[in-house]
Amino acid sequence: MEQPRTPKDEDNVHGNLRTGCGEANQQYSPLPLTPSADLPPRVPRRHTLSPTAGLRSARPEVAEPVTVAVIGTGAIGRDLVSKIDRSPALECRLVAGRNPESAGLRYAESLGYPTTAGGIEAVLAAPRPFDVVFDATSAASHRVHWPLLEPLGTLVIDLTPSKVGQMVAPTVTGVSPATGRNVNLISCGGQAAVPVVHALAARFPVSYFEVVSTVASTVAGRATRMNLDEYVATTGHAVTTFSGVTAVKAILNISPAVPPATFRTAVRARTVGADPVAVRAVVDQVAEQVRSFAPGYEVVSCTAVDDLVTITLRVTAHSDVLPPYAGNLDIINSAAVMVAEQYATRPDRMSRTGVAS
Amino acid sequence: MKQLVIHDPTLRDGQHAVRHQLGLTAIRRYAEAADAARIPVVEVGHGNGLGASSLQVGLAAASDDEMLSTVREALLHSRMGAFMLPGWGTSEDLRRAIGHGVDVFRIGVHATEASLAERHLGFLRDAGAEAHCVLMMSHMASAGELAEQAARAVGYGAQAVGIMDSAGHFLPADVTARIGAIVGAVDAVPVIFHGHNNLGMAVANSVAAADAGALIIDGCARGFGAGAGNTQLEVLVPVLERSGYATGIDLYGLLDAADLAERELMPAPPVTASMSIVSGLAGVFSGFKHRVVELSAAAGVDPRDVFFELGRRQTIAGQEDLIVDVVSELSSRKTGG
Repeated sequence: MEQPRTPKDEDNVHGNLRTGCGEANQQYSPLPLTPSADLPPRVPRRHTLSPTAGLRSARPEVAEPVTVAVIGTGAIGRDLVSKIDRSPALECRLVAGRNPESAGLRYAESLGYPTTAGGIEAVLAAPRPFDVVFDATSAASHRVHWPLLEPLGTLVIDLTPSKVGQMVAPTVTGVSPATGRNVNLISCGGQAAVPVVHALAARFPVSYFEVVSTVASTVAGRATRMNLDEYVATTGHAVTTFSGVTAVKAILNISPAVPPATFRTAVRARTVGADPVAVRAVVDQVAEQVRSFAPGYEVVSCTAVDDLVTITLRVTAHSDVLPPYAGNLDIINSAAVMVAEQYATRPDRMSRTGVAS
Repeated sequence: MKQLVIHDPTLRDGQHAVRHQLGLTAIRRYAEAADAARIPVVEVGHGNGLGASSLQVGLAAASDDEMLSTVREALLHSRMGAFMLPGWGTSEDLRRAIGHGVDVFRIGVHATEASLAERHLGFLRDAGAEAHCVLMMSHMASAGELAEQAARAVGYGAQAVGIMDSAGHFLPADVTARIGAIVGAVDAVPVIFHGHNNLGMAVANSVAAADAGALIIDGCARGFGAGAGNTQLEVLVPVLERSGYATGIDLYGLLDAADLAERELMPAPPVTASMSIVSGLAGVFSGFKHRVVELSAAAGVDPRDVFFELGRRQTIAGQEDLIVDVVSELSSRKTGG
């Protein structure tokens, strides 16, 4: 194992930078990874500090960033590591997989991070608990991992559809969990759909929601394939929780289409008297908010005919390691990293690490 | 004589032709007739299987529970079949179906995606149900790829494995090569062939499949199914018998069931309409026909262009929302010059 790498490019020049990313979602601005014509020019992170940043800096400048570990080295884990690498607030101290030959472990090594094929046991055996553990394994594995991690007081950010922790969709719930130390990112389809169903249900009398997501086969690893039941249950549960609508259907297509299909989610709502212009305005506003952390989120089509509203959303990935069509992984990982960055500014973390009361 | 198992998905695949609107009375009456003819397996459900009733592909007139309990009561001899697409239905749907007495389950996956069936094949095996795996849109994969995927499915626990010519694209030589390769790869379990009739080849393809070693052949009464329909069951069975295969099916009973199906299940039997020929040639799922025609008419574009474009994009079942995109693109191309 190599020593942890601390420098994170030129961004980590000020200790108070993470106060900037700890602000509201709108402050979040992932670094540009590949030039893209359809995006506004990126603003370097150090220019995104809000006027309130000074207030946060009044706190003692805690020298240590949030230490994190990632369990799971599939496509999700790999992209997570790349996003953590980009975050000045987070410091990756361990990437844990099961297969010593996995491409995910090799990628983490190439960035200079400590890796292990010892899985959860290696995470538990760390001399000092990590501030945050990302679980990018499978729903069944997470149910095993959580009771082991809970006593450590670590914040666990779960990227599997396990339904164990508190569900977070950044623009709807915020990224700071009110209670508990287990945050669940629902599912990729959940991240895409929840902001829309939440806004539609608040504005129109919706009697039924249907959420159909399509992800490219090449970015659906074995855990995803084995977790289709949990995906369907968890996505449906999230739609109901955040819309109040109980008649809900969630579907996931794994598409082997060539060239690979860009991640998309079709949201259908049965409602009455929805004016197409009003629907479009609601959905456009939601999309603008979601783009604050997932810049590739867009509304492809939006119609309201008779009692049926149909909205098609597409998410293009902006990532060091993902192809553009893998927006499913990009949106859930971007949300996960935001939760961890927000946690960096929380007083209760300070108390746990003994730095402040 | 070599014994074949005839599997009848009239009450499931036929649903695509009537937008999943089969009523319980019609379902019960056909199931009784099929049972009287001693058709070995009668499959029922929404066209896309358990749990699939939705705005995306159409809401069914009857619930899964209602359809399964109706057919269960009607079958005295035949076994009851159900179909499921992972990601549409879940293990919970399978559990309920087992409770309704389903004997044979088919897990459908795209031709190159056998691993999507791993969880549910395992679930069914653990539950003691008979589990088959069918590779759909099989024209999109080579014989070698299909053989490899079929072997994987058997590794996950499939007790029969095979291919669906979902787009009705195959000619008999295509079937011979593919079934031959699969039989060679999975000699421990029976191989399934499910034909569609877009190019008028369904019966000939099914005979080719049997000759290549397939032991389970699908057919629907009057070919009831999407677009040009499926293999016509009451033609298939006697043709197989004349070709030297035993089916155990009573010919007159079979013909009676087909007559009943024509009267009570469908407004008219499927015909090989121009659009079905186009979808077969394009290699696009026949179930797209209604939506393509409807949306194309509304937008004033040629539905044949839409089909060939969907084929070019290798659109697969479940991507119905892409029809909207293609129609609007062709429409704007037309109006925008």
